[in-house]
Amino acid sequence: MARYAAVLLLLFTADCAKVPPDPRASQPQPEVVATQAAAPQPVATPVAPTTVPPAPRVAASREPATPPPVAAPTAPPAPLTLDLDALEAQLRATKAIGFFTKISLKNQVDDLMKQFREHYQGKTGRTMTELRRSYDLLIMKVLSLLQDADPKLASAIVSSREAIWALLSDQNKFANL
Amino acid sequence: MNKRTVVLAQSLFVLALFAVPSFAQDEEALKKDLTAVIALQGLPCGEVVAVEEQAESDYAVSCKDGNMYRVYLNAAGRVVVEKRK
Repeated sequence: MARYAAVLLLLFTADCAKVPPDPRASQPQPEVVATQAAAPQPVATPVAPTTVPPAPRVAASREPATPPPVAAPTAPPAPLTLDLDALEAQLRATKAIGFFTKISLKNQVDDLMKQFREHYQGKTGRTMTELRRSYDLLIMKVLSLLQDADPKLASAIVSSREAIWALLSDQNKFANL
Repeated sequence: MNKRTVVLAQSLFVLALFAVPSFAQDEEALKKDLTAVIALQGLPCGEVVAVEEQAESDYAVSCKDGNMYRVYLNAAGRVVVEKRK
């Protein structure tokens, strides 16, 4: 459980703790935050990362001369997995969110995690719908802080949004965080 | 005035030219940060227009809409925003 706060993407702590910069943060971060699972694919076609804008696909579909990849229509969509480490590193490194704001956001993330914990322990009457509302609100706060100053990270968070929710809203997955 | 004094005066002048904008940038970044913190708490402010550091991680803040707050980091590691009169 202690891993939660660290994992829940949402760890904005790094800068907050005034620790030396995480070396990972200074390394080039992968652009992809939500990626396709490494599960065996029936077809050995590299799967496009979900954070890649859909434009290329659209462009491809508008290109009548280009035949679509044979395997594409039949390949089942692989479940999303999250690269939470990358997301965490990007959140730590971003200059779009100030020191106090990061701490404040982390406080709110911790509060939300506590609400989930209490929900699963049956200690609260809070429903999953209410938790989803709180989650959406928190994500919106983060996005509003990032969208102008760090649109790339904002986009990564948008792409990861449902995958993160899938972790939170599943009791077993949540317990393993 | 000897040459050394002139050089020293010029150096100080140049230093001041660089230092002032840097300080102003830090000040603006802090205001923006505190504005976001207050907004995250759902409190009215609009925009932080003045900040006075009372202690480390403890600020007295004045907002554009006239509200005043104390924003500080408590011992539990939480950012607290208190309304001031």
